[in-house]
Amino acid sequence: MNLAIRDNWRIWLLVVFVVASTVAIFAPVGVGGPTGDAAAGNDTAATESTASQYTNLRFGLQLAGGTQVRAPLVGMTAEGLAFQREEADGIEETVRRELDVGASQVRADARGGTVEVFVDRHVGNVTQPEFAAALQEAGLDADEGDVRMGVTASTRDDAVSVLSSKIDRSGLSGGTVTQAAAPGAQFVVIEVPGADRRTVIDLIGEQGLVQTVALYPVETDNGTEYRTANLTTQDDFRNVGNAQRSEQGEAPGVTVTLTDDAAPEFQAAMQEYGFDQEGGTTCRYDLNRTIEGNMEAFEAAGVEHRCLLTVRDGEVVFGARVTDGLADDFRTGQFVQSPVYQSSAPSFEQVRELEINLKAGALPTELDIENRGTTFYLLPSLAQQFKPLSLLTGFAAVIAVSLMVFVRYRRADVAMPMILTAAAEVYVLLGFAAAVGLPLELSHIAGFIAVIGTGVDDLVIIADEIMQRGNIETSRVFESRFRKAFWVIGAAAATTIIAMSPLAVLSLGDLRGFAIVTIVGVLVGVLITRPAYGDILRVLVLRRD
Amino acid sequence: MDVSVPDVEYPDYSDRQLVAVPLALLAVSVGVLAVATVLLGSPVPLGIEFTGGTELRVITGDSPSEIRATFDQEVESITPIASQADTYQLTFQFEDADPLEQRATEAGYTVESVSERSASFAGDSQRQALVGLLVAFAGMAVLVFLMFRTFIPSIAVVASAFSDIVIPLALMRLFGIELSLGTVAALLMLIGYSVDSDLLLNNHIIRRRGAFYTATYRAMRTGVTMTITSIAAMVVMVVVASLLGIPLLPAIGIVLVFGLTADLMNTYLMNVSLLRYYKFEAVGR
Repeated sequence: MNLAIRDNWRIWLLVVFVVASTVAIFAPVGVGGPTGDAAAGNDTAATESTASQYTNLRFGLQLAGGTQVRAPLVGMTAEGLAFQREEADGIEETVRRELDVGASQVRADARGGTVEVFVDRHVGNVTQPEFAAALQEAGLDADEGDVRMGVTASTRDDAVSVLSSKIDRSGLSGGTVTQAAAPGAQFVVIEVPGADRRTVIDLIGEQGLVQTVALYPVETDNGTEYRTANLTTQDDFRNVGNAQRSEQGEAPGVTVTLTDDAAPEFQAAMQEYGFDQEGGTTCRYDLNRTIEGNMEAFEAAGVEHRCLLTVRDGEVVFGARVTDGLADDFRTGQFVQSPVYQSSAPSFEQVRELEINLKAGALPTELDIENRGTTFYLLPSLAQQFKPLSLLTGFAAVIAVSLMVFVRYRRADVAMPMILTAAAEVYVLLGFAAAVGLPLELSHIAGFIAVIGTGVDDLVIIADEIMQRGNIETSRVFESRFRKAFWVIGAAAATTIIAMSPLAVLSLGDLRGFAIVTIVGVLVGVLITRPAYGDILRVLVLRRD
Repeated sequence: MDVSVPDVEYPDYSDRQLVAVPLALLAVSVGVLAVATVLLGSPVPLGIEFTGGTELRVITGDSPSEIRATFDQEVESITPIASQADTYQLTFQFEDADPLEQRATEAGYTVESVSERSASFAGDSQRQALVGLLVAFAGMAVLVFLMFRTFIPSIAVVASAFSDIVIPLALMRLFGIELSLGTVAALLMLIGYSVDSDLLLNNHIIRRRGAFYTATYRAMRTGVTMTITSIAAMVVMVVVASLLGIPLLPAIGIVLVFGLTADLMNTYLMNVSLLRYYKFEAVGR
């Protein structure tokens, strides 16, 4: 048998790819371990990894179990506006006032020429024309056509990094956050293997904005009146400690350190609002009531209350007094030297949430899961079963194909290589999946089975063409027949790729994976495995003759 | 089992006779889809991926009527999973999975899977899937015309591919198979699959010298083997995956089986007769 590389380079190319795939699938590489530093506490729950035990293949949610959430970020963006950097603040102010939205919900970027608001017709009930009108009010040349749904790319990037950070810090390992584009909409896709739906939605569904708010009395003509003032946001912290369980009657809390910029302001505010009084302050904040309810209670009680409120997404989670030691520091100016205090919450779980929010930062805007999102959860133990079972399905399909081919040709030297070549095609495809870290889903398994189907189809074309009317006398005859067979195969491959390409681009979830596997499968087939089969046939057939 | 290709006595039949069967079936299919659209609002039943709603897969000892009573919201459908005892797929039009999941857990059901889709997202998906199908089909048609550069052979391929998609769609309506992302993938796959055997036939008849009937039989020998092999693979996938209770795969498989079977008929009745007309009448003149 002549296996010289020059004559049979197609076979050798296939061998090279099979070997490379083996390396990609089985060679141990330094990925797949638990990522990042698991935060303190018992994080043993839900640490299932997507990586497989024996191979480098990764499995998606349908084969690993867990939760997927897919939702757009709330917001609208006006593009192509021209304004100077100095004007940005004024524009933000006007738009905020016109639309009656919160302080951090408008963002004007002079360099990009964009203004975005983090409300839309689904959440916050502001329509595109209303936003355009507000922009005109701010002196910008904008109409409805300039306003699109969705936020800017930089806001999306911020959101993705905050979300990843939240998931990592919560101790859920193997989670991924990606962006997905669809015509007219941008989605964020969050996948957390092993985690249940509620946990994931609780973690990411909220903006996670943590503020420290001062609640203090002022003397007015009508007697004592209570007021609030924002002291900090996430950006003001240089360091956030780990959540501490409650000790000696104190509430559980997390220690925070202010930045050098924020500390003097914080101290000045404390002095101004009277938190620096000797002996510390009194605070009997009732979490079951609203802020207003508490204010009334304080006024009625007649005792001066001064509270530092921990506020998460607009909800007061804790009201703390200032201890005498801290009050002394505010008074003497010691606080600026070591600007450390504790944010507390009633339970350790809530403190953990605070810690995650403080460390990961706040989302620039919410995810609209409720109106425009999709969620998917699959029990991990069930998903684990799908893995061997879908493998079994694939095998059964291969056996069916093999039987058909044997019945048709009744020649082992034609049929055996055909089945092996089709199997090699799937194997190379698996190697590709392992190499690029594509998480396998059920749709990919369907794609693999489809590839076996089309693969064998094309091999049948080659076999029939080459073996027509008896023997091949010369290499030249072989080459000419091979080329004729290849015209059909190439044309069919091109149409399959064309048919699948819209899916690879569109954002239709599962279908994208299916399309990508099919397209890559067709390419692998046309460029590598099917030519190799031609050579294998020649070697076998010429040997016989 | 003998898979040798049946000898169709093509010369015995006129073009009209050959083309009548596939055209009639295509017309019936279009009719089914049209009637369904008028009476039921959509040509094929739409899955929750395209309508919005919630789907739960639960394990419970309750009977279907007890399951209905468990939920405050109306249960649209309850499908038992064949391979696993006491396991049901529940579908709701209701879009918020939280109360449903909670209710199921309270009632002592084991929730195996939850999937929830908002209506607006589902509407987008529907539009995208439709655009995807149209673009894929148009792309295929353009490519085929570029490859053959003659009208009749090209239109034969395109018409056969069209029928290969429309007939399975009508069958989906008749058998109550929902259009899901999986079945859309299968329909797209059909574009690729159906073109295979059509290209082969065209190639043998047009691009090579030799008698029409010899070329046709040779193409058939290869093409029928191809299609039957694919059908075999898909039938096995449907049977095994449904026995094992794996979702998605059976739906993809069954649509492909429908389409490939339709393709056998379309290619070797409609396509052949169009090519024969082209070869003997259109070119001869």
